[in-house]
Amino acid sequence: MIISLKWLKNYINLDGISVEEIVDKLTTSGSEVEEVIDKSSEFKNIVVGYVESVSKHPNADRLSVCKVSDGNELFDVVCGAPNVSAGQKVPFAKVGAIIPNGKFEIKSAKIRGEKSSGMICAEDELGLSEDHSGIMVLSENAEVGKPLVEELKLDDVIIDVAITPNRSDALSHIGIARDLATIFDKKLIYPEINFEYKVVSKNDIAEVDIENAEGCPRYSAVIVKNVEVKESPEWLKEKLTSIGSRPINNIVDVTNFILHEMGQPLHAFDLKHLSDNKIVVKNNLGEGEFITLDSKKRSMLPTDLMIWDGQKPVAIAGVMGGENSEVTADTKDILIESAFFDPSYVRKTAKHLGLSTDASYRFERGTNPSGTLDAALRAALLIIETAGGEIIKEVIDVYPNEILSKEISVRFSRISKILGFDIPKEKIYDIFEGLEFNIINKSEEEITVSVPTFRHDIEREIDLIEEIVRIYGFENIPPIENISLALTNKVDETSFLDDLRKKLTAFGFDETVSNSLISEDKSISYTKSVKVLNPQSTEMSVLRNSLLPGMLMNISRNLKVKENQLKFFETGHVFSSNSNTIKSFEDFSENENLIIAICGKRQNTEWYQKESYFDIYDLSGNVNGLLSSYFDIEKLESKYTFEGDDYFEYLVSKSFNNVNIGSGGKVSNELLDKYDIPNEVFVFEINADNLKQNSKDEKKYQPLLKYPKVYRDFAFVLDKEISYYEVEKTIKDSNSKLLKKVNLFDIFESESLGSSKKSLAFQLEYFDEARTLREDEVDSEFWNTIEVVKKKFNAELRG
Amino acid sequence: MKEKIEQIKKDFTSELTSVDTEDSLENIRIKYFSRNGLFAQLFEDFKSLPKEEKPKFGQILNIEKQSAQQKFDEIKQKLESNSTDKAEYIDLSLPGREREIGNVHVLNQTLNEVKSIFKGLGFSIYTGPEIESDENNFEMLNFPDDHPARDMQDTYFLSESFLLRTHTSPVQVRLMKKHQPPYRAIMPGRVYRNEAISAKSYCLFHQLEGLVIDTNVTFAELKGTLVYFIKQLFGSDVKYRFRASFFPFTEPSAEVDIWWEPKGKEGKWLEILGCGMVDPNVLNNLKIDSEKYIGYAFGMGIERIAMLKYGIDDIRLFFDNDKRFLNQFK
Repeated sequence: MIISLKWLKNYINLDGISVEEIVDKLTTSGSEVEEVIDKSSEFKNIVVGYVESVSKHPNADRLSVCKVSDGNELFDVVCGAPNVSAGQKVPFAKVGAIIPNGKFEIKSAKIRGEKSSGMICAEDELGLSEDHSGIMVLSENAEVGKPLVEELKLDDVIIDVAITPNRSDALSHIGIARDLATIFDKKLIYPEINFEYKVVSKNDIAEVDIENAEGCPRYSAVIVKNVEVKESPEWLKEKLTSIGSRPINNIVDVTNFILHEMGQPLHAFDLKHLSDNKIVVKNNLGEGEFITLDSKKRSMLPTDLMIWDGQKPVAIAGVMGGENSEVTADTKDILIESAFFDPSYVRKTAKHLGLSTDASYRFERGTNPSGTLDAALRAALLIIETAGGEIIKEVIDVYPNEILSKEISVRFSRISKILGFDIPKEKIYDIFEGLEFNIINKSEEEITVSVPTFRHDIEREIDLIEEIVRIYGFENIPPIENISLALTNKVDETSFLDDLRKKLTAFGFDETVSNSLISEDKSISYTKSVKVLNPQSTEMSVLRNSLLPGMLMNISRNLKVKENQLKFFETGHVFSSNSNTIKSFEDFSENENLIIAICGKRQNTEWYQKESYFDIYDLSGNVNGLLSSYFDIEKLESKYTFEGDDYFEYLVSKSFNNVNIGSGGKVSNELLDKYDIPNEVFVFEINADNLKQNSKDEKKYQPLLKYPKVYRDFAFVLDKEISYYEVEKTIKDSNSKLLKKVNLFDIFESESLGSSKKSLAFQLEYFDEARTLREDEVDSEFWNTIEVVKKKFNAELRG
Repeated sequence: MKEKIEQIKKDFTSELTSVDTEDSLENIRIKYFSRNGLFAQLFEDFKSLPKEEKPKFGQILNIEKQSAQQKFDEIKQKLESNSTDKAEYIDLSLPGREREIGNVHVLNQTLNEVKSIFKGLGFSIYTGPEIESDENNFEMLNFPDDHPARDMQDTYFLSESFLLRTHTSPVQVRLMKKHQPPYRAIMPGRVYRNEAISAKSYCLFHQLEGLVIDTNVTFAELKGTLVYFIKQLFGSDVKYRFRASFFPFTEPSAEVDIWWEPKGKEGKWLEILGCGMVDPNVLNNLKIDSEKYIGYAFGMGIERIAMLKYGIDDIRLFFDNDKRFLNQFK
């Protein structure tokens, strides 16, 4: 919300308080100042100039060369405006000025060969209006050389304040002045409303009927007859322009002025367009279109609260008036609406229309139900001041169920208990009085106040405590030196993943963090993905059901910038749905996954090696290395799929006691093409929740081996198609528990073996924790194994 | 026999002196000392000598062979020590065999730093799901239905009643539903906001919230704890301010700004934390006696802190995972 400091000073005397102090206190008390614009500095070096002479530019038809005086000196200025002429007083931007609109600095220059030292400005260049038809011509009485801000009375400071959604009372100049008055211990000065009137529900001219009193608890209306709709006086235009609101005509401008002054949105109807001279507040009948005063068609719902005349809707309550009844140049009699609409009605309507106005913004946060009449009367008085006419003394006010002030007590002991320090009682009284809370009762223990009706956010004791501390100031909370804490069990649910990270970075993997929202065509069809109802774009319309798509995007992006030694891992949630709509936590699953990916060069060419590329064995080595720190790797079951699927050329799945741990392999070329990845990619995705739940939970010491290990080597020639896994399993099965380890130390293929053959060389490790093995018992196991392998695989012992 | 021994001795000596490589030495070994070498042949010849000559020649043969072996070993040792000298010429200036250490993502590095500060203050760490119910994300936390407060957090909806959590506060709700106070915990996690992606905002970010509930906690303690935290994180001379704010789930509420003045740039206040005393409505919603128990809560964005600490000016860089970016934080 934009606040003009000059305007604010109508309601509070801020003499002797600097802008910095005001900004600081507003901010710390909860109305954060986001920007401060000092108009005087914005118009630095722009003065009232006097055009002494104008002559044609020798080299350009449309330009003229002017001699402009700043009261001391004459400057040559090239000007392109058609309306410049000698004898005018003009806004003159001297060298060094920064033009407010466009923020460029004026420098001495030659324009088409003619020297130019300064610029005569148009209104749009000064940010005063959108007029660029010619230069701005100032009043003849303007004093040459005077800073333009002073001449135009622009010497103002504009403050942009962010008002939190609970503080509807602060959405006006008076609202801000009230906080400042309390903070700086000043008096809040309300505008005077001197008018004698009588309250009725109908008068000779019009009547108001509220049919939906829940949606509209109060409706006040003041009628002004015989107004003359015209341009607003300077002071009014100035006020509105200063806060960035465009003046329209005197009637509309007055209603906007009241909105920004008091926070009460008003609407002026042209009385002659109100059929039967009636206002009825009721819901829309069925669905239908309504044309608002910005000439746009709005689709209305039966739940929308509307303002009707005797026959038709004339306004969307609290949001915007209708085109059919708006004030126009020939309007004579007006009805000023000043109502209190229920916040949730306005909010629902504004939301489904996608239309937020200054009025709806305030109504949906809550306006002051007690202030409607004052606002309407103040508006009426300003209207007759600017537009003539007379106010009908029988003022209409329909208020079926008066909204009363709440009475709330706050215990001094509770204040101290919550805050942890004491605030002097006198200070507390001052704060309440400043904020216009009436103190009803004071005792040793507590204070009871009645809450002004503009404070919708104050309902409980704690709300009063907040008011006290926000005005008292958080900076005044004494620092504490120590804390005490309950010695309860400590839990760290992130430690497992942190441990994974440590292990993988030790393996040389870099961690990535990717978007969990992906496009539907990228999701992996193993499971059904969860859709977002209101995505930003189709690129981010479903939740990832695998970490693979994000990882492939990362790889693709890196390869494009020539980063081609990629070892990545990522942990993150993946989601899949079990149902068409999500109505409960059973309708979807969410778990933590881990993905490991390698792509590109294993190593560059260096003085000690030739370049080489990652292959599937790098992946399995890393995966097994990682998993062996969580499981007895021997107990992990592996399944190999050579046919592959849409995503993998071939893949390995690993499980433990039939619980899936993870799977991965070589990513298929079709998938890589989609991501524009030219290199081979190997990935393995692990269900980290399953990993955590099934991994050995305790580390335990095993005594170190006291007896020697015995090794036996052999090599077999057998058919290529026989997998290592089968041979290994056979070797293990044919030995007793004395065999502790099988190590494949060579694979050899050559023509001499035959093209369908390979040689596998093994080393077997035997030992017993309790004794030294005898050579003969090892030999008997070893030779038995050789026989079994020979027979089973039709293998030949090589040496 | 004698002549033969002399001849071999002579040949051996001359051949040995001309040896300059290990290969030629090996040839000599094979020629003289192998199983079929010349010395072996001499012993073979020795077998056929007349009985009376055997003692004499046996002695000579043994002495000659030993002496030859000795000479051979000397030369061998010399050659080997020469060649070792060569192999041990080490160029220490060569770059070694390259090893690359992996790197935890800068967001998790930042998170770890924050976590460790709070762990030092005795906080537990809890996590929760990213898909949440409206109840856990909003209702329980005192966001009335159809209230402008809901506009503060643009939400991704998955259905009428389920959404992507907009903050990690639902983890607090889960904790309070499951356990009785006291609590002293932080909850890190990924949260989502339905905002257009730009240098300043992303559709998701990482948040860390804290919750402390006990019978004797105060706003002054909240302030003290957070001041301690920001001094640990940003250095003890950091300039900060607390200002009143609004969150539906805390009352009174505040935000904490720190004064940020990068070299050569104009300084400004930057918000880094939101905090406040847990609203009694939240405690009541979760069946905790709000007269007996008082709580405070706080929350911060990890991206914001990382951007400040490392001078990162575009939030999208975190999620692009460009190795040139990732490796800057080793």
